[in-house]
Amino acid sequence: MPFPSLTPYALYIAGAIGAIGLYLLIRPGPVNVRRAGTLIGLAGVGLLVSEAIHIVDASVGGPAGGIPLIPCILGFIAVAGATRMVTHPKPVFAALYFILVVVSSAGLFLSMQAEFMAFALIIVYAGAILITYMFVLMLAQQSPSESPGDIEGATHYDRVPREPLAAIAVGFLLLATLGTTIFGSRVAPIGDAANAAVARATVERWRELESLPRRLDAEIALVRPGAVAAPDENGRVLAIARDGSASVRIQWDDNGTVRTDAIPLPASAAPTNIQTVGLALVKQFPASLELASVILLMAMFGAVVLARKQIELGEDERREAAGLRRLSLDDAEPIGRGDATASKAAPVGGRS
Amino acid sequence: MTTVLPSLASGLASVALAASDAVVSPADPRLVQVALVISVLLFVIGLIGFLTRRNMIMMFLCTELMLQAACIAFVTFGRMHMNASGQVFVIFILTVAAAEAALALGLVVLLYRKRETLSSEAWAELKE
Amino acid sequence: MTHLATLFPSLPSALAGDGDAHGTAHRAAEGAAAAATWIGGATAHPEYSWAGWILLLPLLSAVFCFLCGAFRVKNKLPALVTIAALGSAFGLVLTLYLKYDPTHASGPMTVHLFDWIRVVWGEKPGQSFVADWSLYIDGLTLFWMLFVTGLGTLIAIFASEYMESDVGGNYCRFFGAVGIFLFAMGSLVMGGNLALLYLGWEGVGVASYLLIGYYYGKPTAVAAAKKAFVMNRVGDLGLLVGIYLTWRHFGSIDYATIFKACSETIANGSHGGDWTKGLIPYFLMLGAFGKSAQIPLFTWLPDAMEGPTPVSALIHAATMVTAGVYLIARLYPLFLLHPHALHTVAWIGGLTAFLAATIGMMQYDMKRVFAYSTVSQLGYMFLGLGVGTTFGACYHVFTHAFFKALLFLASGAVMHGFAGQLDIRKISGLRNVPGFKIVAWTMLIGCLWLSALPFTAAFFSKDTILLVAMTDESHGNRILAWLGLLTALMTAYYTFRVWFRVCGGETAYQPGDEAHGHDDHGHDADHGHGHGHSHGHAADAHGFHPHAPRFAINGVLLLLAVGAILAGLPGLIEFLKMGPNWAAEMIAASSATIGVPNLTEGLAGGHAEHAHHATVLGMDGHTAMFLLSTVAGFGGIAIAAYYHLVRRRAAETLKQALLANPLIGWLPRALENKWYVDELYDALFRYPIVVFGGHVLAWIDRYILDGGIINGIARIPAWIGRLFQPLYNGLLQGYAITMVGGIGLILAWIVYVWMKGGI
Repeated sequence: MPFPSLTPYALYIAGAIGAIGLYLLIRPGPVNVRRAGTLIGLAGVGLLVSEAIHIVDASVGGPAGGIPLIPCILGFIAVAGATRMVTHPKPVFAALYFILVVVSSAGLFLSMQAEFMAFALIIVYAGAILITYMFVLMLAQQSPSESPGDIEGATHYDRVPREPLAAIAVGFLLLATLGTTIFGSRVAPIGDAANAAVARATVERWRELESLPRRLDAEIALVRPGAVAAPDENGRVLAIARDGSASVRIQWDDNGTVRTDAIPLPASAAPTNIQTVGLALVKQFPASLELASVILLMAMFGAVVLARKQIELGEDERREAAGLRRLSLDDAEPIGRGDATASKAAPVGGRS
Repeated sequence: MTTVLPSLASGLASVALAASDAVVSPADPRLVQVALVISVLLFVIGLIGFLTRRNMIMMFLCTELMLQAACIAFVTFGRMHMNASGQVFVIFILTVAAAEAALALGLVVLLYRKRETLSSEAWAELKE
Repeated sequence: MTHLATLFPSLPSALAGDGDAHGTAHRAAEGAAAAATWIGGATAHPEYSWAGWILLLPLLSAVFCFLCGAFRVKNKLPALVTIAALGSAFGLVLTLYLKYDPTHASGPMTVHLFDWIRVVWGEKPGQSFVADWSLYIDGLTLFWMLFVTGLGTLIAIFASEYMESDVGGNYCRFFGAVGIFLFAMGSLVMGGNLALLYLGWEGVGVASYLLIGYYYGKPTAVAAAKKAFVMNRVGDLGLLVGIYLTWRHFGSIDYATIFKACSETIANGSHGGDWTKGLIPYFLMLGAFGKSAQIPLFTWLPDAMEGPTPVSALIHAATMVTAGVYLIARLYPLFLLHPHALHTVAWIGGLTAFLAATIGMMQYDMKRVFAYSTVSQLGYMFLGLGVGTTFGACYHVFTHAFFKALLFLASGAVMHGFAGQLDIRKISGLRNVPGFKIVAWTMLIGCLWLSALPFTAAFFSKDTILLVAMTDESHGNRILAWLGLLTALMTAYYTFRVWFRVCGGETAYQPGDEAHGHDDHGHDADHGHGHGHSHGHAADAHGFHPHAPRFAINGVLLLLAVGAILAGLPGLIEFLKMGPNWAAEMIAASSATIGVPNLTEGLAGGHAEHAHHATVLGMDGHTAMFLLSTVAGFGGIAIAAYYHLVRRRAAETLKQALLANPLIGWLPRALENKWYVDELYDALFRYPIVVFGGHVLAWIDRYILDGGIINGIARIPAWIGRLFQPLYNGLLQGYAITMVGGIGLILAWIVYVWMKGGI
C-alpha cells in the first residue's frame, strides 16, 4: 500500500483540489500563483491516481500487483501537458504541448500492448493532424503587433479565458460522475477469473491464426517444408491445449503416401497485435470500416469546397471559362452606346 | 526504495515488446484503473479548455484532446477484455479526428477570412 | 284517500269504489270506473304494428322533401308528397280508431316496434333504464292523433297554395320541417314511454324553431325563433328533471308501469319515497308551461307568429302548444303526487287566460291577437286540468284546434291576398272584397266559436271547465271561474274587434309591405293580378288588387269551418241529452282519468241527479253557466260592435280619454306593451346575464383567466428566461457550458440511480 487510504469521498476531494489548481493555472496571474496552482493540481492528480489504485486493491482484497510506475509517470506527463496546452496563451505552444500529450499517451498504449495503435497515434496525430493545425495557425494567426493589448506576445482572446469558473465547475461535475462510474464498476479480472479470461482470450487468439492461412503456412514451412495444414473432421486446423499451447495438424505427401502429423507452435507464432487489429477491423467491423472511408472521402470533398477561394466571376469571365465568346463588344463599340457599355464594362475590367 | 525499484523494473518489462512467452497476458488491474483515471482527466481538461479558450483553433485542439482521452479509454478497455475491438475503435476515432481537422480547420480559415480574427466571440449571431 | 279528499272535497270520489252510490248506470261512467281498475294493465297488441307507419310516413316525407331540396326540385312535388303522407297517416289513425273500442275491457294497447335503449345493471326494479320504440294507444292518444294528423293534412293542403311563391328550396324546407313536426308530434303523443315523449317534445321544439325562423333573412324571425327555443329550453329542463325523478321513484319510464304504481299509490294511500317525489309534478308542469306558453314562459308564442301562417295555425295554435295539456292529461296520476300541484296548474292557467286576454284586447296585428287568444285559451285548458276536468281540458283542446286553426288560416288568407297586411286598422270591409267572401264568413264562424257563444263547440268545452271551477269551492277555484268568465267577455270583445275591423264596415284596404316574409310573393306570374307593381309603395293603395285565395285555401277554410261546427256535436248531443259525449268517452278510456272524480261530472253533467251539488248563484249549475256565458259572449260582441263597427271613432276617443286620464292612463299603455313582460324578463334575466356575461365574465376572462392564469403561466418561462438570459449571449461556449452542464447533470443522476442499485 504505497499511498495512504482515503475516505470514500476522496474522489470528490481530489477532484476539487485538482479543479482549484486548474483554476489558479488557467487565469492570467502572477507566476507564483500559477506555480502554486501547478503544485495543487499535481497533488490533486496524485491523490486521484493513488485513490484509483487504492480502490482496486480494496476491491481485490489485497495488493493487485505492482505499482504501474511508468504508466503513472506517462499519465502525469500527459495530464500536465494537457493542462499546459489548455492554459498556454500561444496556440503554437499549445499545439506542441498537445504533441507531448499524444506521445505520452502513445507510451501508455505501449504499456497496454497496443503497439500498433501507439505508433499510429503518433503518426496520424503528431504527424498529420497537428501539422495541419500548425499550418492553419500560421495561416490565420494574427501577428502579435496587431493586437493592442498584447502581453507576452499573445492576443487578448488567447490570453484571457472565458468564464473559467463555470467551465471548471462543469468539468468537476463531469469528473466526479465519470470517476464514480470508474471507481464503482468492476475492475479488470484477477485470480481465477483472470486466468479463465486469459485462457479464453488465448483460444480466441490462436483461432485467429486459422483466419491467417499464409502466416500459418509460413509457420508450418519453418518446421516441415512442403506440408500443408490439414483440417480435422470439425474443420479445425489448430488443436489448443489447456495450458495455452497450440499445435497444428499438417499433412504432407511422403513419396506417394499422405502422412499427417501435429506439430506444436511457438508462442511467437500467435498473431501479432497488428494482425489482431487488422483481423478485427475486417472481420468484426467491415461496415464501420466502409463508413470510415466514406467519412474520409466526404471530409476531403468538404475540405476542398471550404478551402477553395471564392472568386466572383463576371458574365464575360464565366463565358470565357466555358469556352464561349465574350458578350461585351470591345473591338466594335457602336457609337452613342459607348458610354453606357464602358461604364458597365468598367467594373468587369477592374476585377479582371 | 526497495519496493519502488522492482516495480519500476516490472513496469519497464511490461513496456518491452513481446517480452512475455504467453500468447495473451492478463491485464494489470491497477494499470487499467490508472489509465482510465488519466483518460477521464484528459477528457475533463480538454472539455474545460474547449469551454474557456476563445481561439477557435484552440477549441478544436481541445476537442482533439477529448478524442485522445477517448482513445486511451478504448485501448484500456480493449486491454481489459483482451481483445482488439478497442483498438479498432481507436482507428475510427483517428478517422473522425482527421476528418474533423480537415473540415473544421477549413471552416476556421473561412471564418477568419470573414472577420479577420480567430476569436469565437466575433460570432455571436446565435443569440438572434 | 285523505289526499284525494283534500283535492276534491266537493265531489264524491269515483275511485273510492263507491261510484255506484251515485246510482248512475252511465256507460261512460262505468268506463271511467273500469279505467281506474284496468289502467296500468296494458295489453300488447303486436298485430297493430302497422301503427308505426303513422310516425314513419311523416318522417319519410320529410326525408323526401329534403332530398327534393337537394335535387333542386322546382315544383309542388314536396307539398303533394307531404299531403299524401299526412293524409295516409290520418287514414291510419282513423283505422286505428275504428278498431279501438273506448270501453275496451283490456285497457290501453301497447305496440312494441323495436328495442331502443336498454341499460340494465341489476335485477332490482330501479336498476335498469329501458326505453323502447313502443306505442301506447288509448282514448287520449287517438283523440289527440285524430286532430293532429287531420289538421296537419288540411294545413299542409292550405300551405301548398299559401307557400307557392317560395317554390324551390324553401318550399322543400318548409314541408320537410312540417314532416319532422308531424313525426315528432306523433312520437310525443303515441310514444309508450317518457323517453319517446321527450324525443317528440324536443322534436316539435326543433320543428317549431325551424319554422318560426323560416324567413331567416328577417332579423325579427330569427330572434323569435331563438326566443322560442330558449324559453322552451327552460321548460324542457323541467320536463327532463321530472322524467328523471319519475324514473328514480318508479324505476321505469314506461307508462304502463308508472300508471300501475300510481294506481296502487292512490288506492292504498301509501306514499313511499322521499320529498323529491312531490317535486315530480312541479317539474313536469314547468315543461308543460314552457311548451304551452303559460305564465311565466308565455312570451315566446306571440313572437312565434313570425313564422309562416300555416305554421302558426298548425304548430302554434292547434297542436304543438297543446302538448303541455297532453303531458298533464297523460301523466295525470303523477300530478296527484303533491296536493298542491293541480291547484298550481289551475291558478297558472286562469291567470294566463286573463292576462293574455287583456293583452289581446290592445293588439293591432291580427295574428298577434289570435296568438294571445291562443295563450288565453291554453290557460283555460290548464285551468280545466287544474280543477280536475281533464275531459273539459282535452275537449277544449279539440274544439280550439279547429276554430283557432280556422282563424289563423283565415288571417293567413288575408295576409296572402293583401301582400302581408295584418294591421286591423288598415283593412276593412273584407266581406265585400271580391273573392274573399269565404274567408270573411268562415272567419266569422271561427270568431263566434272562439267567443264561445251558446251551442258553439267552445261553449261546450269551455263551459265544462268553468262549471267545474265554479262548483268547486276549494282553493279559490270559484275566483278563477269568475276570472274565466271575465276573460270570456274579453275574448268575445277582442275576437269581434278583429272581425268587425277587418270584415265589417266600408271596404278599404292598404297592402302590406311584405314584411311578413314572401320575398317574391306577388311576383308570381301565375296570378296575373299585377299587384307586384305595388312593391315598395306600401302606403299607396292605387293599382293594388288583392289576390283572392283559390281552391286550396278556400277549401281548407270551408273544411275547417265544418270541422269546427262538427267539433261541437258531441257537446250538443250531450246537452240535448241525446247520448254520451264522444270526447268524454275517449278521455275516460285513458290515463287522464286516474284519480279524476270530475270526469263523471263532465260526462253526466246533463243528468239531474248530479246537479244537486252544482249550484251557482242559486240556480242549477248548467243553467247558470249557460246564462253567464251567453251574457259574457254577447256582451263582448256588443262592446266590440259599438266601438269597432258602429262608431269606430269612439274607440280612438275612448283610448285618448283613457290615456289622458292620469289615474288609469297607464292601463292601456301597459296592455299595448303586453304588460311589459318582455321588458321585465329583459331586466330580470337578460340584462343581468348580459351584464354578468358581457362584463363581469369578460373581465374575469381578460384579467384573471387570460391575464392571471394563462399569461401568468406564460410569464413564468419568460421570467425564468430573463434569469438565465446572461447565459444566452450568442457565444458558442455559453451554449456549450449549458449543454455540457445538462449532460453532466443527467449523467450524474443516472449514475446516482445506478449506484443505488436502481438499475
